[in-house]
Amino acid sequence: MPSAGGAATPPGDVVVRLEHVVLSFGGGPVLDDVSLQVRRGETKVLLGESGAGKSVLMKLVLGLLRPDRGRVWVFDQEVSAMKEQALYDLRRKIGMTFQESALFDSLSVRDNVAYRLEEDGVLTPEVMDERVRTCLSFVNLDAVMDKMPAELSGGMRHRVSIARALATSPEIMLYDSPTGGLDPETATTIMDLIIKLRDCNHVTALLATHRLQDGYLLATHAWDDATQTARWAAEGARHTSFLLLRQGRAIFDGSAAELRRDPDPYVREFLS
Amino acid sequence: MADRTLGAPPPDSALSQALKQWLFSFQEFWLLTAQAFRNIAATPFYAADTFLQMDSIGVGSLPIVVLTGFFTGAVMALQLSATLTEYGQIDRLGQLVSLSLVLELGPVLSALMIGARNASGMASELGSMVVTEQIDAMRALGTDPVKKLVTPRLIATIVMTFFLTLIADMCGIVGGWVYAVMGIHMNGALYWFSAFRILDASSMIQGLIKPLIFGGIIATVGCYYGMKARGGTQGVGRATTQAVVLASLLIIISDFLLSRLLVGILGT
Repeated sequence: MPSAGGAATPPGDVVVRLEHVVLSFGGGPVLDDVSLQVRRGETKVLLGESGAGKSVLMKLVLGLLRPDRGRVWVFDQEVSAMKEQALYDLRRKIGMTFQESALFDSLSVRDNVAYRLEEDGVLTPEVMDERVRTCLSFVNLDAVMDKMPAELSGGMRHRVSIARALATSPEIMLYDSPTGGLDPETATTIMDLIIKLRDCNHVTALLATHRLQDGYLLATHAWDDATQTARWAAEGARHTSFLLLRQGRAIFDGSAAELRRDPDPYVREFLS
Repeated sequence: MADRTLGAPPPDSALSQALKQWLFSFQEFWLLTAQAFRNIAATPFYAADTFLQMDSIGVGSLPIVVLTGFFTGAVMALQLSATLTEYGQIDRLGQLVSLSLVLELGPVLSALMIGARNASGMASELGSMVVTEQIDAMRALGTDPVKKLVTPRLIATIVMTFFLTLIADMCGIVGGWVYAVMGIHMNGALYWFSAFRILDASSMIQGLIKPLIFGGIIATVGCYYGMKARGGTQGVGRATTQAVVLASLLIIISDFLLSRLLVGILGT
């Protein structure tokens, strides 16, 4: 398994690091001795079937869950040892989109996107509205500002959740199955946005998905400002790597090219 | 005796597991309660959320509390009037109705009605937020959900249960008066004189401390079951039922304990 959780990279360049993490929920381990690191500007695609532990891993990075064993580091701070109150400050530098969008259903789209800004209470309502409009226009949803989440389609809700995460300009984005349950066209729109965010804002990201094509799209496409679309680019230029989980264990960590060449029977089966 | 490998703990029995689970839940409940109370003095203070909850709990519960109080007072007057007439003590009807309402029935019945409506509402609302990951999203956005969701509900329930109990007491006394005047043609002035003469500082304090405690029970139990809801809509339904059952039981048990304590401190 190439480059799995090694310590060869200078710590300052690594913004997310998991070291031999184990987590169980009563039964068997959900994550079993998982190590990984994500460098600044890199996108790490977490692949695996449903129940492989992808979402749990994302929640560990954000400190929403704590490991039974092992350590989790984000920006050189040990998340797994921090108190909940201290984590709130760190989480302001991290944006997360959830599997089911997790929009606040009693708030309008505008209030969902402005949530963090209103909590901070620093900006005036006018500046806040401008910021919300910018975030919503980034995800091409300017027109739905006053709607309630229940009035939106699944794809639109995912895009609003990306806009909400973007409102505070996070340095790390965590995408939990952003295309899950969406039709191919909407899924492509979401992936285009993630590529745009990576290439325009240089955001470090973890993306959990069971759809191999999403990972390959990230590894092979770059945002083209001229056409405002994601276009094919030379592989490897996009700082995208893959971690394949199987029943809580990391069985592959490397680039798209290495993934394609890996002889492991489960990897071959997953790719086929 | 069965052989055991040295160092390996014996397997947990079902009873031991249930006991551990109960102790763990008990600890979780008190941690949440302590955190919610500690947050009252911590910034940021969610004033808008607190007033919103006061409106929802207070104004929303007003009709049921008014009706419960009124008809409780009326039915007490109906049941007591026959016995009091038999013993020639009908002029004491007002004091029996008012004392029973202020000391026991007003606080307990109001709390049971407020609890049935609001503990279930809190458990289902927060439970739905948990199972749809909205609580996780809130934490991910850097907000403490206990501070944002539990503490405003706690403050609002304590304050509104206090005022709603006062209203229920008053409505109950009015209900007794309506029956006394219309049902048994008693002199209204005599009823009011009797009703207020018996209410001294001790009984008023007893009657007004209880709703503060009951309000705390309703909010903490409702929020606790909501925050620990698991397992989709079925889990939310289960949490809602458990919240109402436990809040009602705790209100009745704590009423006895409080009465004993307050009688000991303030005298009868």
